Amino acid sequence: MSEVATAATTAPLVAGSAPARRPALYGAAAIGALLFAWWLATAIPGFVPSRVLPSPLDVVARFAALIAEPFSGATLFGHALVSLQRWGIGVLLAIGLGLPLGVALAWLPPLRAVVTPAFELLRYIPPFAWVPIAVLWFGASTTTQAAIVFIAAFPACIINTQLAVSQIDPILVRAARTLGAGWATSLARVVLPVAAPTIFTGLRIAFSNGWMALVGAELVVGKQGLGFLISQGQINDSAATILVGMTTIGVLGTLIDLVLQRVQRIALPWKTAIARPLE
Amino acid sequence: MANATLKPAWRLPGAALGADATLPFWRREPGRAQWLAIALVSLTAMFAAWWAATRPDGLVSALFLPPPIDVWEAFVRLWSRPYLGSTLGQHIGSSLQIVIGGWLLAGLVGLPLGIAMGWWKKARWIAFPIFQILRPVPPLAWIPLAILWLGIGNSARVFVVFIAAIVPWVMNSMQAVYSIDGLLVRAALTLGASDSQILTRVVCRTALPTLVAGARIALGNAWTTLVAAELLAATAGLGYIALNASRTLEMGILLVAMAIIGALGALFSIGMHLLTRWVAPWARAGVAA
Repeated sequence: MSEVATAATTAPLVAGSAPARRPALYGAAAIGALLFAWWLATAIPGFVPSRVLPSPLDVVARFAALIAEPFSGATLFGHALVSLQRWGIGVLLAIGLGLPLGVALAWLPPLRAVVTPAFELLRYIPPFAWVPIAVLWFGASTTTQAAIVFIAAFPACIINTQLAVSQIDPILVRAARTLGAGWATSLARVVLPVAAPTIFTGLRIAFSNGWMALVGAELVVGKQGLGFLISQGQINDSAATILVGMTTIGVLGTLIDLVLQRVQRIALPWKTAIARPLE
Repeated sequence: MANATLKPAWRLPGAALGADATLPFWRREPGRAQWLAIALVSLTAMFAAWWAATRPDGLVSALFLPPPIDVWEAFVRLWSRPYLGSTLGQHIGSSLQIVIGGWLLAGLVGLPLGIAMGWWKKARWIAFPIFQILRPVPPLAWIPLAILWLGIGNSARVFVVFIAAIVPWVMNSMQAVYSIDGLLVRAALTLGASDSQILTRVVCRTALPTLVAGARIALGNAWTTLVAAELLAATAGLGYIALNASRTLEMGILLVAMAIIGALGALFSIGMHLLTRWVAPWARAGVAA
């Protein structure tokens, strides 16, 4: 049998037996090659016009410029701060409402029957489809952006909380009851700790959905923020500005998730699902 | 996006929790008939409240929320007469064409790429880091670049939909192929299967549920992203209608557009679930990407 089959048969069984540095080397080489190709394509005069794709060096220069001096009303940090603020408001609101409601929906089945039709009707409307109506309701303000973040983050909070609480083994609750715990005590001391890891996963999804939705909302309305920055880049025909904005959005999104993973490991050490890393 | 699957409430695992007759009624799971009755009453109450609040002497201004009858009239009008150059059917057609086109294109590239990344270690080592770097950038953030590169024509929207759909296609097919039990492959080898037989008869067959789940997630992402792209760069489509209606304060039309966007999203999701059950009845869920 050829090398192909051997690779497939051994890979899942003895994952990690290969020197750990090799995959990283391949990855670094691939990314390096990509960057080099990008630079080469823009370095040859007339091959790719800088209007279409600026050279990587131009993007770095633009990054430095955006940090130093304001563009479209604020520096890069200013835009990022505005975005983070809107995102924070929307996400905190979604968690504040979604967590209690999710627990209530799982804990009180009749309430679930009452709420489910409305929820099912609304949840297939993507967050961005709310942008036009949110603009009418709240004007071109921070409220509009925060509302879109809320709409994007809320379902993830509520669905995962409800799922987490529903999946708890009823025997655990009965055991607590047998030992004399009241309903409130069983909820606080048994149900929530057991459900916490799944709930936290829901929160992580909510945080990231909210961040993505915010970018979309800022593209359409608003006078500041990272989404606004890249739309201004498009209007001013500056691909470098767009690329700086996109990178910042991606890096901030990654940082947010890394922080949350860290928090999850520290706050909920008892059952943190850590995905098996891909070799 | 990810993990947004809600099972019908009566099928939640915790439903067993309610079977206990010692529980007070508010902790007990309603029976199927009771459940439907409550849901129906709730739905009716919702529409009644909407109707009552938006009457001329009601609490809510028609500019905030139009009465139900306005929405229905807007729907009928949109269907028969062109709005912004096309009838409603043509706008829907335009949206569908782009979303399906971008999604299929992403599948055409992403499915083989993902399978290759799951099957060959080196393909994964090379391509996976690139995806890891591109993944945190929301597909929507590509819209300005797409407009700059391709203008506001169809190709810009197809490009953005492609970007949104390719990640779930690739990630799910890679995960599906990568996580196949090595024993299955060895068993096939022992029975004398050739490489191509293993790939087609063992690997792709076993991976099928996850592949289809990837396709479903990709379609959902594609639809969400298209709506956003239509808000920014379009000359037809449902998102385009919605934004224009919001600028001209035609609330009825705006709500019709939102309702159709939601209905089509639901249709995609249900259709893909049915497809999953049809091609892979043993399937569970996919990797959220």
